[in-house]
Amino acid sequence: RFSAVFIFSPKQAEVEETLKRIQTHKGVIGTIVVNAEGIPIRTTLDNSTTVQYAGLLHQLTMKARSTVRDLDPQNDLTFLRIRSKKHEIMVAPDKEYLLIVIQNPSE
Amino acid sequence: AEALLQSMGISPDIPNGKDTHTHTPPHSSASEGNNRGNVMLPWDPDPCALQLHSDSELLGQGFRLGMAKVTQVDFPPKEMVSYSKETQTPADTQTHTQAKPEEEMADPKPAEDSQEEKADEEEKQEEVLPKELTEEEKMHLLNSEEFMAFFDRGSRIVERALSERVDVCFDYSGRDLEDREGEMQAGAKMSLSRVFSDERWSKNRVVTCLDWSPQYPELLVASYNSNDDAPHEPDGVALVWNMKYKKTTPEYTFHCQSAVMSAAFARFHPNLIVGGTYSGQIVLWDNRSNKRTSVQRTPLSASAHTHPVYCVNVVGTENAHNLISISTDGKMCSWNLDMLSQPQDSLELVFKQSKAVAVTSMAFPLGDVNNFVVGSEDGSLYTACRHGSKAGISDVFDGHHGPVTGLSCHSAGGPVDFSHLFISASFDWTVKLWTTKSTRPLYLFEDSCDYVYDVMWSPTHPALFACVDGSGRLDLWNLNNDTEVPSASVVVDGSPALNRVRWAHSGREIATGDSDGQVLVYDVGEKICVPKADEWTRFVHTLVEINENRDEGDELAAQRLLA
Repeated sequence: RFSAVFIFSPKQAEVEETLKRIQTHKGVIGTIVVNAEGIPIRTTLDNSTTVQYAGLLHQLTMKARSTVRDLDPQNDLTFLRIRSKKHEIMVAPDKEYLLIVIQNPSE
Repeated sequence: AEALLQSMGISPDIPNGKDTHTHTPPHSSASEGNNRGNVMLPWDPDPCALQLHSDSELLGQGFRLGMAKVTQVDFPPKEMVSYSKETQTPADTQTHTQAKPEEEMADPKPAEDSQEEKADEEEKQEEVLPKELTEEEKMHLLNSEEFMAFFDRGSRIVERALSERVDVCFDYSGRDLEDREGEMQAGAKMSLSRVFSDERWSKNRVVTCLDWSPQYPELLVASYNSNDDAPHEPDGVALVWNMKYKKTTPEYTFHCQSAVMSAAFARFHPNLIVGGTYSGQIVLWDNRSNKRTSVQRTPLSASAHTHPVYCVNVVGTENAHNLISISTDGKMCSWNLDMLSQPQDSLELVFKQSKAVAVTSMAFPLGDVNNFVVGSEDGSLYTACRHGSKAGISDVFDGHHGPVTGLSCHSAGGPVDFSHLFISASFDWTVKLWTTKSTRPLYLFEDSCDYVYDVMWSPTHPALFACVDGSGRLDLWNLNNDTEVPSASVVVDGSPALNRVRWAHSGREIATGDSDGQVLVYDVGEKICVPKADEWTRFVHTLVEINENRDEGDELAAQRLLA
């Protein structure tokens, strides 16, 4: 999926380690990192699924954030969690990025 | 007309940028010249003034037009170089088709061209076109500061969320109820609650110190010494563990270059953690900084410590507190946490003006900032004080037969004050109970068959203390119940040597660190750790009994000597 040429700084290695740890956590199906424009920059899923998740969840997060802020301008979205019959999708948003993790909680 | 122009200094051949200049001056001077008889006005270069002149002229008689060559100078508009990256939010749904050719041009090393193109084609059909980034751009983003900061926060939250296994949608109707294990625990004396260990940072290291946060009762800092199997990793590590969440990774990871022998949360500075190291340096870590290394360090000089620092403690009150550190060469320094470049005060702890005390443990009685007790490598115990005419070592106690490994002053506040009591643990397999009022021990606990590495009074129960030894045993002694044997005991799996023991501030949990780098937290059964109202008075009686036994014992010993 990613080319083998990486330039690893020590911090980058930690990021990799954490991502790997999250990905190998019990029940985790996929992990995606998305930037402010909805473009996936790291993913463990295949391309089409990634693009779908990234696009849809990015929109949803924007909507959720704007909802929170409309209700109270001093407030802001900190975490988004969607529980469905089959999965749980967790989104940790930020000004610039989104960290999306999809977990199957029953495992 | 030509002559006039030439007299003005304007020749028809010379280009003149501004139109106003060429038009009006001939008029103004010409008209003025006419009115006043050849008086040449100084050529006022101000276009507004010229304009006025010409206006007045226009109102009057006709004007003479002169030929003037005007060169067109064209300044092209300033080019705003912009790289258009527009957002894809559906509110402004427009297919940004122009972005694509730009992106392709800017693509220096297309790493995965085919995939990107395929994705692009797919995306064309969708309303919103998410762009692809090249591998280089992605790596660049991933290496940026903001990403690191975001990822640090985001991954922390996600890891906690992942570890929580609470199923809020659980349906009790169609399913069997799971066994309730909770009831079984209530009767148990001590049950293992958590084991904290990190594959990378705590394996192969010994836990050298533990401290619970005064501010957030769920946070626990553990310091570790060096990992002999990994010489390239930092020698000193301190990890902050979180009891509240089921996440198995540390909350914060800190390093330093020398093995950390003691660590403590800085009591009045919630973000700071103090560490005393093997090299004698005292390091300060701040959880607000993004770095894992210390934000401040004391100098490695003769004014500070040059020997391992086994004891660090913040004593005092919010407005007047100091960090006290003692190293094994007997030097005691008191520091101001805002300035670690030199100690505020230092003191050599020497006994009888000759022998420096090799301090391995230190304890301050509850509420006291001046007097304290220290235990040394040769087994002796001393009381000392920081200030005053007799600053330094005051009294010596009979001590132990081996190095003192742990000291704890009574800290359970209650109706009766027992702050003169303290206990000490040593390599001589014993724990001794002392009072500052006497140099002979009050009681000797010799239930252990190995080096006793640490001991601590319960912060809530006046007659309860815990001790750990090298055979993996964690013992709880309740002196109101029995002074001969521990009231509760547990052996850690694998029998590693337990190096440290610390009660949580609530008195309901105990943390212990072992020689394999694991931190184990035990829940203590309510029956044992929760003091009843009469515990203090019972303890008074217990002490009286102990005292009587001691005196009897002394008498018997004296008689035997005489006989």
